Amino acid sequence: MQIADFFRLEWLQFIRAAYFQKSLALKILIGFLVLYFGGTAVLLGGVIYFIAKKSAPDVDPLVTVNNLLVIWVAVDLLLRYFLQQLPVLNVKPLMTLPVRRNKVVRFVLLKSLTSFFNILPLLLYIPFTVVLLANDYDPIQTLAWFFGMVSVSFSINFTNFLINKNNTFFYALLTIVALGVGLNFFSIFDPRVFAGQCFYAFFDKPYWVVAPILVMYLLYRTNKSLLLNGFYLDDMVSKKVTLAEDADLSWLKHFGPVAPFLENDIRLIRRNVRPRQVLLVSFMFLFYGLIFYTQDVYKEIPTILVFASIFVTGGFLMTFGQQVPSWDSQYYKLLMSQNIPYRQYLNAKWMLMVFGVLVSFLLSFPYLYFGWDIFAMIAAGALFNVGLNSFITLIGGALNRTPIVLNEKAKAFANTSGFNPTQLLIGLPKIFLPMLFFYIPYRLISFDAGLICIALSGLLGLAFRSQFLSLIERIYIKGKHKTIAAFAQES
Amino acid sequence: MIVVEKLTKKYLNVEVLNIDELSIPKGQSFGLVGNNGAGKTTFFSLLLDLIRPTTGQIHSKGVRIDVSEDWKPFTSAFLDESFLIGYLTPEEYFAFIGKLRGLSKGEVAEFTSKFEGFFNDEILGKRKLLRDLSKGNQKKVGLIGALIGNPEVVILDEPFANLDPSTQIRLKQLIKSETQNTHTTFLISSHDLTHVTEVCDRIVVLEKGQVIKDLQTSPETLKELEKYFSEPLEG
Repeated sequence: MQIADFFRLEWLQFIRAAYFQKSLALKILIGFLVLYFGGTAVLLGGVIYFIAKKSAPDVDPLVTVNNLLVIWVAVDLLLRYFLQQLPVLNVKPLMTLPVRRNKVVRFVLLKSLTSFFNILPLLLYIPFTVVLLANDYDPIQTLAWFFGMVSVSFSINFTNFLINKNNTFFYALLTIVALGVGLNFFSIFDPRVFAGQCFYAFFDKPYWVVAPILVMYLLYRTNKSLLLNGFYLDDMVSKKVTLAEDADLSWLKHFGPVAPFLENDIRLIRRNVRPRQVLLVSFMFLFYGLIFYTQDVYKEIPTILVFASIFVTGGFLMTFGQQVPSWDSQYYKLLMSQNIPYRQYLNAKWMLMVFGVLVSFLLSFPYLYFGWDIFAMIAAGALFNVGLNSFITLIGGALNRTPIVLNEKAKAFANTSGFNPTQLLIGLPKIFLPMLFFYIPYRLISFDAGLICIALSGLLGLAFRSQFLSLIERIYIKGKHKTIAAFAQES
Repeated sequence: MIVVEKLTKKYLNVEVLNIDELSIPKGQSFGLVGNNGAGKTTFFSLLLDLIRPTTGQIHSKGVRIDVSEDWKPFTSAFLDESFLIGYLTPEEYFAFIGKLRGLSKGEVAEFTSKFEGFFNDEILGKRKLLRDLSKGNQKKVGLIGALIGNPEVVILDEPFANLDPSTQIRLKQLIKSETQNTHTTFLISSHDLTHVTEVCDRIVVLEKGQVIKDLQTSPETLKELEKYFSEPLEG
């Protein structure tokens, strides 16, 4: 078996994946998305030189960019940690075939380099390098810098697998990061400046490029030996077995007939990787406001702030809610052959989403720092989320038939649920309705009138709760067989 | 109990099932045999309204399955692992099914404790999640789960596959005693002719979606089936 054979298998896996065989519209949408992200990276790589030159005319733009790159590197690592998984499980069928372990492991690691996460930095660095060359930077130095940065990206790639698979590495990295933050806090040492200098060194003294390449190679070796040692069914290749913790959920019985569903949902979130990921993403949504409330530009256009406020409390509601029947896709046949009233099922999910909004709202109290206006806006947004957004999201979810593998991380671009055209269409009102509700009375009457209007829309939605649930119920009943068939397909 | 009329199912104009008429009386243990692709699972999926029939209909206790959902309270099934909730422990799974069928946690625990022998000490009280159990143990959980709440119709797709010999024997005893004591109607598909003739009162052979044989089980049935399946298939 040659490396080429592996790639052939991978190619077949890629083009025959369930998500790839979906409708043309979906393929086009995915294509657009890839183009969008790729295009943004290329564009950024092309113009950042000039932006840097303009914002700091006295400094070499390469120095400015290098100082910024550490943020990119940090975000890169963070995103990878949550989204990128080493595809070791795929090697199981190869274990009994006459292929050397060494070869399989090498392939798994090399293949990981073709992930979108490694292509994206290339799309950024290549145009930037071209611009540098066009601006008469020394070709050898520039190329050294380019290879240095690519090695850094690939090192992150391998670091991610180490911290993902091995707690020792995870805590080691965490300690380093904490140390950096701490030293920065006491102004002893600025890791940002240090990283900037390191990156600039690749250019300044091109022989330094050996350092990141060496680091990359060492990380690769560590990964390789770790994988080789763990190349057994009961080790790396297998999934971890966890014992169920005995959380007392009996208090849920006060919720009556909805209780068994709530109980299940809580266990779903606690015991599976994917829902926990969603929980984390929704926590990050809490900080969404910081991006907008801190900018003076937006003070003049509060309609944009409404948008941010919806996201502050709506993170969990939207990320969990838009996949509502999909969470149960792995055992949907069971649910459909049991005596389950859709109403109770939906009610349980709705209550969970509302609970998510309430918790987010409580956690958003620190936004009081930005003043009452902002806080009132968040509160009004929370009401909109509870009363209207929850139902809109559930309708979107009902139309979403992408199965979810609960105990595996989401793969970037493997999960097409968010790109479902109908869902996108339904997603629009989530964003624009509250802005509209605010904008019209704000323009005609006042800021407060706008907020009241958002809040009222939420209350009105609550009043029509049972109508909304009936509507969603009908969608469920109508699409039942389609949903069962779609969920039966392995994603 | 179950009446099938002019039932057909086509996928992309290929007929995978065509049963003109079939009725299964209450309390019968009904066995379905046939080679791969004969339409056994399709038939069971139709019985559970998991797929829609192309033509025809099935009534269960007078309820038309693809129109009303009133058959659900007295019907239960275990077709494959998609009937298990991977992130629950066996106890939690049983309790969940029990609640859907109107039983309290205590009642469910009392019911499942009767199957300690069947579970062979590997399932209850281990705090293991269903997804971490072996295939055989998962199957045991699914099979017992399908018996919770005294259903009148129990549909099991290949219940003997993946089970160890002791459990196979226990399962046969279990099905026999359930049909005798509670008049539960069992619908069982199997590739194991010995097991199915031992357990079922009646055996139907499906081939390419058609009912080829409909036999009341007698001492000669096993021989007849073996003869049928050892002959080269026509067409």
